[in-house]
Amino acid sequence: MKPILDALLEDPKTILKSRYNDGFEVAGGELEPFYLAAAKKKFDQLATKIPALKRLAAEQGIDSISSLDDLVLLLFPHTVYKSYPLSYLEKNRFDKLTKWLNGLTTIDLSGVDASGCQSIEEWIELLDNTTDLRLLHSSGTTGKLSFIPRTLDEVETSALVLKDVIRDWYGDNVGTDLTKDPLPLIQPSYRSGYQTMLRTGEIQAELFGISEENRLYLYDDRMDADLCSLAGRIRAAEAKGELGSLELSPGLIAKRDQFVAREEIKKESVRTFFQTAIDRFGGQNVFLCVTWVMLFEAMSEAKDQGVSNMFGKNSVLVTGGGDKGYVLPDNWKEIIFEGLGFDRAYELYGMSELMSGCPMCEHGNYHISPVVIPFVLDPISGEALPRSGTQTGRFAFLDLLPETFWGGFISGDEVTMSGFDNTCPCGRQGPYLLPEIRRYSAKEGGDDKINCAGAPEAHDKAMEYLLNAAR
Amino acid sequence: MNDCIDVPLVIRGQVIEDFSETFGGRQGESRFRTADAKRYLSQIVADKPSDMADLYTIDFDEIVDYLARLGQRLKLNENAYLHEAFELSKKTSSLSESILRHAYEMIPGFFEPEMTRQVAANTVGIEFLEGWVPLREGVKVRAFGARAVHIIAGNVPIVGVATIVRNALTRSDAIIKAPSNDPLTATAVARTMIDMEPHHPLTKHLTVAYWKGGDEEFEEQLYQPKNVEKIIAWGGFSSIKHISGYLQPGIDLITLDPKQSGTIIGAEAFESADRMQSVAEKAALDVGIFNQEGCVNARVIYLVCGTDDQGVETAKAFGELLFQAIQALPETLSTAHRSFDPALKDELDALKFVADEYTVIGGKGSEGAVIVSHESEPVDFARDLACRVANIVPIDSVDTAVKSVNAYTQTIGIYPDSLKESLRDRLAYQGGQRLVSLGGATNMPSDAPQDGIETMRRMCKWVVDDTQ
Repeated sequence: MKPILDALLEDPKTILKSRYNDGFEVAGGELEPFYLAAAKKKFDQLATKIPALKRLAAEQGIDSISSLDDLVLLLFPHTVYKSYPLSYLEKNRFDKLTKWLNGLTTIDLSGVDASGCQSIEEWIELLDNTTDLRLLHSSGTTGKLSFIPRTLDEVETSALVLKDVIRDWYGDNVGTDLTKDPLPLIQPSYRSGYQTMLRTGEIQAELFGISEENRLYLYDDRMDADLCSLAGRIRAAEAKGELGSLELSPGLIAKRDQFVAREEIKKESVRTFFQTAIDRFGGQNVFLCVTWVMLFEAMSEAKDQGVSNMFGKNSVLVTGGGDKGYVLPDNWKEIIFEGLGFDRAYELYGMSELMSGCPMCEHGNYHISPVVIPFVLDPISGEALPRSGTQTGRFAFLDLLPETFWGGFISGDEVTMSGFDNTCPCGRQGPYLLPEIRRYSAKEGGDDKINCAGAPEAHDKAMEYLLNAAR
Repeated sequence: MNDCIDVPLVIRGQVIEDFSETFGGRQGESRFRTADAKRYLSQIVADKPSDMADLYTIDFDEIVDYLARLGQRLKLNENAYLHEAFELSKKTSSLSESILRHAYEMIPGFFEPEMTRQVAANTVGIEFLEGWVPLREGVKVRAFGARAVHIIAGNVPIVGVATIVRNALTRSDAIIKAPSNDPLTATAVARTMIDMEPHHPLTKHLTVAYWKGGDEEFEEQLYQPKNVEKIIAWGGFSSIKHISGYLQPGIDLITLDPKQSGTIIGAEAFESADRMQSVAEKAALDVGIFNQEGCVNARVIYLVCGTDDQGVETAKAFGELLFQAIQALPETLSTAHRSFDPALKDELDALKFVADEYTVIGGKGSEGAVIVSHESEPVDFARDLACRVANIVPIDSVDTAVKSVNAYTQTIGIYPDSLKESLRDRLAYQGGQRLVSLGGATNMPSDAPQDGIETMRRMCKWVVDDTQ
C-alpha cells in the first residue's frame, strides 16, 4: 500500500497532517485492500460503542467485516437521523429524543436529564452544556429535521479538511491557507444556529481566527431550530386531522413572522448586503460562502449597475447548490466572476452526514478522498454495483473520519461513479462522481402523473418559505 | 423502457395518426409519440353548442344498448387496442401483470345493461335524463349533458373507462386528457367505438387527447366558456393549480382530489382467535387489493385493543395475522409490488432505529409490511403508505380514530357493522365520505356518490322549464 494509505489506515485523521493531494494520487485499483482494512478497523472500533450499529450488525449476523459486501449491509439508511417520531417534539418528550439519540453515538447520554426541555433549541443547548456533543440539524426541507450527533473535534476536523481543500485543490499551496491568513468572511445567511452549515461555519470562523469585525452576515441573529422544524410539524398536524393541534409559543410565532417578512424582501436585502460588502471589504481578498443562484442574482444586478471587480484576486469562493431549477444563461459563470473580480471557486458535493465534502475539478467531476469509501448501490436491491467502469445508482459511503458516530450511510441521491479503472481528465486518480446528481424522490414517473390516492399538501405561504429557505 | 409507443389522437369519431411530438421517458414513465394537440384545437373543441342536438335523437334505451354492444367488444383477449394498452401498462404501471389482467378483464362489466341502468337511475334519475320532469305545477326540470374536459387519474385503468360510460349516460361531450401514466386505455375504448359505429352520436362526442398538463398555450384556448362548460379534474395540487388559472364565469370545476382511506376495528374483533383471524383477512382485502394503489385502500388501521402492554401485544398479534393474510391474497388481486417505493423503503428501514416505538412485520423486500405502533400515533410517513404497507395503531377509545378523520379521508372500513352505524354521523362531520363494512373498501359502488359529491349530477346542466 502507498504510504498515504498506510497512514490513513493507522489514523484517518492523518489526512490533516499529510499532503492533501496525496489522496488523489492513488489509482482506483490500489484502494480496494485499503478500503477493506479501514472498514474492518472502523467497525471493530465502533460496533460495541454505538448501540444502533451493534443491533444492526447482530440482525445481519455480522461480527466482523470480511468483505465490502458485509459493509453494505451495515450502512445506515439516510432516514436514520430523523427516525424519531415527530410526536416527541409535539409532546416535548426530549427525554425520549435523548434516548433515541444515545443509540446513534458513542457519547454516553444516560446522565442527561432533558425532561424539562420545552424546545429543540433548549435541548441542543443542554447537550452542549453537559456533553461533548455539538448536535447539528438539517434544514428541514423534507419536513422533518435530522439530528446529527457530532463532537466539537469532529466539526473542527471537517473545517480543517475544507481549509486543506482551499489551500491545495488547485495545486499544493496555490490557494490561501485560511488558518494563516483569515480572510474576511462574507456569508449571506444567518450568523449562527445549530443547522449544519451555520454551526459548522461558526466553528470554522472561530477556528480560522476570523475576527468579529471581519465577518459580514445577511442576518446578525440566529436561525432557530424550532422554526426550521415548524413546516414539518404543521404538515404532520394537518395530516392528523383534529388530533393534530399545533400550539405555537408567541416567541415562535414572532420568529415565524419575522422570517416570512425577511423572505419577502430577501432580494432587496441581498442587494444591500453586497453593497455593504463592497463598502467594507471592496478590493480586499475575502472568503465568500454563498450558493451559485444567489450569487448569480446579485452579480447580474451588479452588472446592470456597472459594478465589477468587487474583491481581491486571491479571494476564495465556497459554493454549490446546483441551479435549483433556476434557468441560468450560458455565460452565468462569466457574469459572476466579472462581478466578483476573482474566479477561484470551490464547489463541493457533500451532505451533513459526510465530514469531508467532494471537491469539483475543472471537468465538473466530484472527487472522493480516500477517507470516504464510496459505493453505488442498485436502487431496488440495495446491493453494491461493481467498483469498475462507470456505474449509476444510489450513492452510499463509509466516512472514516467520524470517531463517535457511524459514518456508514446510504444517501438519497442518484449518482454516477467512475474512476476505479480509469482516470479523470483532470489527472486526479481514484473514484469520482459525474456532475449529474439528483434526488430519488416521490416524483418517479414524472410530474404529469395523476393518481387518485394521496393527501394534498398544505400550501401555506409561511410554510412554503420555510421549506424553500435552505434549498 | 426505451421503446417509444405511438398514441393516436381520437377526435369525435376520427383517428388521427400524427406522431410528431414525443412525451415522457423519465424514470418509470412511458415514452410515447402523439400529435401536437395545439394543431388540432379547432377540431378538439365542440364550439357549437347546437352540435349537442344529435345526442337527443337517441333515447336512453339506445344508449344502454350501445354501451352493451361496446362492452362485448372490450374483451381483453379479443380487442387488439385494449391488448396494446394492457401491454403498455404491463411495462409502466405500478400494478403487476396478474392484477392488471384482472382489471382489464373487469372492463366489460362496466357496460352491462343492468349496471349502466342502475348507475343512471341511482346517480341522476333516468327520467331526468330522458325528459322534462315536473317538480310541481308549472315547473319542470331536465338534466342535459354538458361539454366537458376530463383530466383523469391513470393509476388504475378503470377511471378512463368509467368516464366514457358517464359521458354517454349523461349525453355529454367529453374531451378526455389521457393520463401520462396510462395514455392508451381510454384511447382503446374510443377506437373500439369508431370501429363499431363511426357515425353514432355517442362515438362522435368523445375525444381522447394528450397534452402536457400546464401547457398554457393549449390550455388557455381550450378552457374558454365557448368551448367548455365543465372541467372534471382528478389530481392533486399541481394539477388543480394549473386549471384554476383558467377558471372564469361559465366554467364549472368539479374536483376529485386525491384521497386516502382508513380503518377502524372495534374491540369485538378480539373476542376469539377465529374472529381475529377472519377480521384480519377482511382487513387484508382493504389493504392489499390492487396493491394499495387506490384511494379506497386502507392505510392506517385503528384497533380498539387498548394501549397498555396487553393491548400492544394484541395489536402485534393482529399485525402478524394481517401480514400473513395480505401475503395470502390471490395474485389477481394483489402481489409483491413490482417497483416498491424506494422512499418508503427508507422510512421502513429507519424504524429499526426506533424499535421501542414500532414493530415492523415483513418489509424485508417488496412483499409489503405491517407496522405496529406501540402508542396511539400513526407513523410520521402515514400519508406515504403504499405498496401494501399498513400501520396498525392501538387505541383506547374510538374517539382517537374518529378525530383522525379529515377532509382527505375518503373511505373508512369499519368492523363490526354496528360500530359503523354508531359512528357514521360523527365520521361524516369530520369529513369522511364513505363508510363501509370491513373488507369492502375496494368494492366501491359505481351507482353512489363519490368523494361526497354527486359527480354524475354535477356533470349535467339542470335546466328548468317554468310556466307561470
